[in-house]
Amino acid sequence: MVKFRFLFFLTLFLSSCKQDLHYEYTDAVYKNGDDLNWAKKNYDTSGWEKERDPKTAVFWSRVNVRITNRDPKDSISVGLGIHSFGSFDVYWDGVFVGKNGEFAKDKIHEVPGTEMSDFLLPDSLARSGLHTLALRTAQHFNTGELRGVDVKLQYYKALIQRPLVATSYMNLMAGAFLVAAFYYFLLYINSSRKELDVLIFGIICLLFFALLGVEHVKFYITIPYSHFYTRLEIVGWLTFAISLLVPFYFTIQFYFKKKFWLLGLQLLILIWIYIDNFRHYDWTAMLFSYTMWFFSLIIVVNALFRNVKGAWVVFVGLLMSAVASAFIVYDFFLFICYTLIVLSMLYLHTIRAKLLEKEHQSSLILSSRLKLELLKKNIQPHFIKNTLTSMIDWIEESPKDGIVFIQALAKEFDILNQIGEETLIPVAKEIALCKAHLKVMQFRKEINYVWEQSGIDELDLIPPAIIHTILENGITHSMPSIDKIITFKLSFEKQRGNKQYKLLTIARNRENRIEKKTGTGFQYIAARLTESYGDQWTFESQAVPEGWLTCIKIHAG
Amino acid sequence: MNILLVEDEARIAKRVARMSREFFGSTIQNLVVCESVNGGIKYLSEHTPDLLLLDLNLNGEDGFDLLKSVTASAFHTIIISAYTEKAITAFAYGVLDFVPKPFDQERLNLAFRRLFTSGPKSEGKLEYLAVKKAGSIVLIDIKEVRYIKGAGIYTELHLLNGKKALHDKSLEKLEQLLPASFERIHKSYIVPINQAKEIIVHTGSKYLLELKNGEILPIGRSRYKELKRKII
Repeated sequence: MVKFRFLFFLTLFLSSCKQDLHYEYTDAVYKNGDDLNWAKKNYDTSGWEKERDPKTAVFWSRVNVRITNRDPKDSISVGLGIHSFGSFDVYWDGVFVGKNGEFAKDKIHEVPGTEMSDFLLPDSLARSGLHTLALRTAQHFNTGELRGVDVKLQYYKALIQRPLVATSYMNLMAGAFLVAAFYYFLLYINSSRKELDVLIFGIICLLFFALLGVEHVKFYITIPYSHFYTRLEIVGWLTFAISLLVPFYFTIQFYFKKKFWLLGLQLLILIWIYIDNFRHYDWTAMLFSYTMWFFSLIIVVNALFRNVKGAWVVFVGLLMSAVASAFIVYDFFLFICYTLIVLSMLYLHTIRAKLLEKEHQSSLILSSRLKLELLKKNIQPHFIKNTLTSMIDWIEESPKDGIVFIQALAKEFDILNQIGEETLIPVAKEIALCKAHLKVMQFRKEINYVWEQSGIDELDLIPPAIIHTILENGITHSMPSIDKIITFKLSFEKQRGNKQYKLLTIARNRENRIEKKTGTGFQYIAARLTESYGDQWTFESQAVPEGWLTCIKIHAG
Repeated sequence: MNILLVEDEARIAKRVARMSREFFGSTIQNLVVCESVNGGIKYLSEHTPDLLLLDLNLNGEDGFDLLKSVTASAFHTIIISAYTEKAITAFAYGVLDFVPKPFDQERLNLAFRRLFTSGPKSEGKLEYLAVKKAGSIVLIDIKEVRYIKGAGIYTELHLLNGKKALHDKSLEKLEQLLPASFERIHKSYIVPINQAKEIIVHTGSKYLLELKNGEILPIGRSRYKELKRKII
């Protein structure tokens, strides 16, 4: 409710007050040269020109103003606002009321005034009736620029206050976007994922902050008329960048295919608009915004058809901004339209963040599942019960060997326990695990398992029990040579940051041994590699003349 | 006696072989060890042993196919496995026993002794009879059986739907697998009790059993009392 009241008062304030002065004014007439008599109220201007001579820098201009509704008892101060180029002295009914910049007959002494200047009128000269405004102007800068004279009469306080109030709201908004920009930049910098959309969103927020600031800076900074177009140029380029980045952001958020075709086309259109409407600043910026709106719509409608989450919200946001543009003057449209779009983008971003959080959650679940899987290696019935059965037999038949067997099993369990909580372990540890496993299996299978290794960097880190898993597969799917030997050769290579582990099983392959990527063993290896390296790994496993070769490559970066 | 042992753990295979020899003694004519399931299948395609000792990893689909295939055969199968939780499935398909690893001589002997005890087991958990039919194996729910008739070394399964199926096992071997709800009424017949309607007594101590569908089967003289007790 409080919010609503606030909005209500804001709207009242922004809409024009019923107490405003009513007035009308003629187009300006011009005369080159300088004569203080031209300031007089009833001076005959019949010989004056309707157009200013663009080559002359010193001239006078006169405008007739009629105040139509001022109450004779009204004693509130009246202000005069003038929009014009040049440095001028202002005469109201022949009376000097102030100056904008410093009039001078030569360029060196001219101090450029600003495009928008305000003056307090003497109360006696601001009554209902006909009045004359005369400007003694020097325009040594941008002399060729014919800007005309716009007159605004208003109660002085309102004249000064209103733009500042509007500006304060805009600055409030701009501040919010500045904070958002900082937040997203920091998010981008500190995130390990370096998501492009986060960066772009941050840039859009920053550009939007700048646009709001530059758009309204004229109300509290005096910009010499000689630099009047600089601000508009900046507004234009800011709008250009935002118009390009907003659809770009949507293409990322909505997974738009062929986005660079679309954005390339949009870029061409924006450039064409810039060239075709060169120096029509506000108009150009408006066309830029329309282009942005149109291209965003294409992307959102496409996303709607593909049922992408969040597309409806953005679609509604775009429609609302279109409706707003039909009722509101461009300056406010710009503000409202962009705010709606940025808000819907913010909404999209929360959806995305939620998704990321989910992914994070599931990666945590994956990690704990993998820990469990590793733990299960200890206790899975096939391993433990076959081992125990063999062990009973060894103890019954040859107690001494039985004890060695038990010790080998204990060693394997020890290592599995040590690595159970890790996601990466030194390869030396992994090799120790493999050797312990081979010793256990030797007792069970009565095959002589030989372990060989070359090029191993003992401190290199790998996910736990992946070579162990390959080894288990090798034991299951290989038959020993006639002299009952199976040899495993582990080799390691490192080139330009790419790492490669090869495990060669020298044995006869059992029938039906094919490379299966569906087995639980492969799934475990794949999940472990993904956990630590994302998609920067490859796994190959195939028959070779000597037996079976498994190769794990881990790519740099 | 011919025994086939399928076991890929060399040490365990030795153990089973040793214990088998101890139990059967000189009655063993032949004990063949295959270290892979494929090798075992190949052996079975050429030979018919009297007993199969099988280490079966029932987790894969192949395991079940092999289980159906061996239980459809004439010989008895004893599973020796680490996967204790699969015992019920194995019994349902018709194995003589399921020996969980790790095992000792006594447990293995218990399994072997089942070969020689006749009559249904009170704990019989058989649910299906695997039957070879046109090159593939069909599972018949034992609830679908009206009666079983011995036919030499084979048996005929007479089903509720009127159809017949041949089983490779002898009536004696099936009797060892079937649950207590099945009764041997004659040297050539086994009937599920729930299919029996009444006992007809003819003069001269000739006993007949009328089934619910009206079919009449002979009752062995020595089995009459036991059957009468069960039906009433």
